[in-house]
Amino acid sequence: MPISDPNQSLRALLDSPNLWRGSEHYLAATTQASGHYPGLPTGFAALDASLPWQGWPANALVEIITPLWGTGELQLVLPLLRRISSAGKSALWFSPPCIPYAPALASAGVDIARMIIVTPAATEVLWAIEKALQSKACALVLAWPGHLSGKHIRRLQLAAITGQTLGILFHHRNIRHSASVLRLSAQAEEDAMRLTVLKARGSYRHDRIRIPWGSHE
Amino acid sequence: MSSKPFQNSLGLLPLRAVRVEKLRSPVEKHHLRSTGSRRATPLWYALWLPQLSQQSALDGEQQARLEQVATSLGTLSATVSIKTPDSFLFEVGSTLRYFGGIEKIRLRLHALLEPLLDSWDLPRHFHEAVSPTPTASLLLARAACNLLVYRKENLRAALGRLPLHTLSLPERKKRQFHNSGLYILRDIWRLPSHAVAQRFGRAFIKQLEQCLGHVASPVQAYQHAPIFCSDLECAYAIENKQALLPGVETLLERLCLFLHTRELAAMHLHLAFVHEQQGPTEIEVMLRQASRSPAHLQLLLETRINALALPAAVITMRLRVSQFAPFTAHNTTLKGVPVTQDGDAGLNDLLPLLEQLQARLGIPAVRSIHCQDQHCPEQAGLDKPFGEPVSRVTTQPVNTAKVVERPCWLLPKPTPLRQEQGRLYYHSSLRLLSGPERIETHWWTPQEIQRDYYVACNRQGMRLWIFHQRKTPSQHEARAWFLHGIFG
Repeated sequence: MPISDPNQSLRALLDSPNLWRGSEHYLAATTQASGHYPGLPTGFAALDASLPWQGWPANALVEIITPLWGTGELQLVLPLLRRISSAGKSALWFSPPCIPYAPALASAGVDIARMIIVTPAATEVLWAIEKALQSKACALVLAWPGHLSGKHIRRLQLAAITGQTLGILFHHRNIRHSASVLRLSAQAEEDAMRLTVLKARGSYRHDRIRIPWGSHE
Repeated sequence: MSSKPFQNSLGLLPLRAVRVEKLRSPVEKHHLRSTGSRRATPLWYALWLPQLSQQSALDGEQQARLEQVATSLGTLSATVSIKTPDSFLFEVGSTLRYFGGIEKIRLRLHALLEPLLDSWDLPRHFHEAVSPTPTASLLLARAACNLLVYRKENLRAALGRLPLHTLSLPERKKRQFHNSGLYILRDIWRLPSHAVAQRFGRAFIKQLEQCLGHVASPVQAYQHAPIFCSDLECAYAIENKQALLPGVETLLERLCLFLHTRELAAMHLHLAFVHEQQGPTEIEVMLRQASRSPAHLQLLLETRINALALPAAVITMRLRVSQFAPFTAHNTTLKGVPVTQDGDAGLNDLLPLLEQLQARLGIPAVRSIHCQDQHCPEQAGLDKPFGEPVSRVTTQPVNTAKVVERPCWLLPKPTPLRQEQGRLYYHSSLRLLSGPERIETHWWTPQEIQRDYYVACNRQGMRLWIFHQRKTPSQHEARAWFLHGIFG
C-alpha cells in the first residue's frame, strides 16, 4: 500500500482557502503567490505592511469608521482612485455627503470621467450598492449608506465576492461581528491620520498606524 | 371658407370639357390595346398650406403637423411626399378610377384636411393644383392658381402665365430676369432655348424641363415612422409580479424580432398592465443607448416591475415602442473584447449597470462630474446627470488647481462660521494652516466675488477650506468668514 508523502498532504491542507490560520499574516507573501488573497496597494507603505493582503483586499468589503465626515477618509482612498482610474476602470460613489469637487480630484491625478456619482433615495441606497457590487464592470464602490446592520453588511460582502468588486463603506458606528473583511477606524489629528485596524480577516494584529498628511506615494 | 373649384388648364372650359380632352382618338386607343399598355398616366396633386409655416409653432410641432397631414393623405394615394415647409405632393393618376374622378378626390381631401386645420385653429383655406408633373403641380399650387391640367401638352399653356419670381431661383437671377424685361414664363418660351441656356444656366433649363415633363423629377415618398405595439392577453388574471415576467419576455421577443427585421434599436419602452376595473399601470423606460438585446431590455423592465405596486390583477399587458434609432453594432476584437472609442472613456461595459440604476432611481440620480475653466470655485466643478452633454469642460485640471490645494468636498453653499472672542469655530476652534489665496472674479455681475481663501484645521483634525469675504453687502455688516469646503 503506497504511503502518501505527509509533507505533500500537509501542504495541500495549508493551501486550502478554507483553513484559517492565526499566523496567516506572516505567510501573506506565499499565499499571495498562490493567488488566494490578491491585494491592491493602498499607497501608504505603513498601512500596506500591517494588512495581510499588502494593501486593500480585492473582491471584498471594507469598512472605514470615522467620528465625523471629512476627517481624512477620502485622502485614504485617493491613491486607490488614482490607480483604478489610470487602469481604465470605473468607481461608483453612492450617497456621498457632498458631490465630490471635480477640480480637486483631477489635480490629485484621478480621471474624473471614470467617477460616477449615484444619489439614490434613502430607501434605495442598499439596493443600489448591492447591484453595483454584483456587477463585474465596476471596479470600486465607495458608499456612505447611513444606517447599517450586520445583516446588510453580510449581504453586501456576498455581493462583493460575486462581482469581484472592492466595496468601501464609510460610516460612524463600529458594528461588532460585522462580516466585512477589513474594518478600520480613522481618526484625524492636526498633522497626521491615526488608523486602527479593528479587524482584518486572516490576521490577529490590531495595529495602530500613523500616517502623516501628504505622505502617500 | 372652402376654396374655389378647379379651373381647367385654359381657365375657360368647364371641368367636364377637360375630361373630354383626355379621351384619345380611336387609332390611339387601338394602339394602346394592342401593345397592352394600360398604365394610367401619372397625375400629381399638389397642396400648398401657407398657414402651416406662418404660424409660430415650435419646430417639432410643425414637423408633427406635416407628418399628420401626410399620414391622412395616405388614404388617397400610395405615394405622398412632404415638400417642406408647407407643401405636399401626392400621386392620384392611379387612384382616379377608384375614387371616381378628380372632383371626388378633391371633396374627400377637403373633408380630411378641414377638421385637421380646425383642430389646430388655423384658417381652412389652402391652394391646390393637379398636373402630370410634380414640379409643375407644386409651382402652380404655390402660385395659388388652383388649376387642373390633365395632359402634358397643355402644361406649357397653363404655366405660361406664371410670374417668374414664383420659381425657386436665387435672388440675383430673379433680378436678372426683371432687368431683361422677362416677367412671365411665356416670355422665356418665346426665346430660343439654346440662348436661354447660355444666358440663365443649365439649372434653370432643367427646372423648366422638369415642369414640362421632358426630364424626370424624382419624388421622395414619405414613410411613416415605425411603431411597435403588441398585446398579450394573460390566460388568467395575474396578481403575482414574478408571474408577469414570462409574459414580458414573450413581448420582448416579439419586439426584438420587429427590430431585427428593420435594422432598428429601441430608445424608449412603454409597458402597460391592463386591469379589469381600473386604469392601467404603466411603466416607461428611457434607454441611454438604443438597444435590441432581449436580455438587457428584460433586465431593465424587471428592475422596474420589482419596484412596482400592482393595484389589481393584470389581465392584459401591452408593449408599445415608438422611438427608435438605427441599429449600430459595437466593434469587438477577435477575442470578444469591446473596442473602446476615444472620448467615450470606455464606460461601455458599465452602461448596462448605469442604465439599470437610472431605470429604478431616476435619470438625475446617476451623475458625472466635470471641470470647467473658471476661477469662481463654485463654477470650476460641476455635476450633470450621466450622459447629458456638457459644454466647455476640461478633463485636465485648471492650471491654478495644480499649484494650490482644492478640497475634495465643496459645500453646495458657503456656510457662515461662528466667531467667539475673535476666534473661528467649526466643531472646535480653528487654526489657519496656509493662505491667503485671493480669488476675485465676476465683477461684471451683481454676484461679485472677492474672497481670501485659507486652509484651516480644527481640533478634530478636519482640514477646512474657509474664506474671508473682502466686500460686504452693506457697510454696516462685519466682513464675514465662511466655510466653503472640506479636504476630506
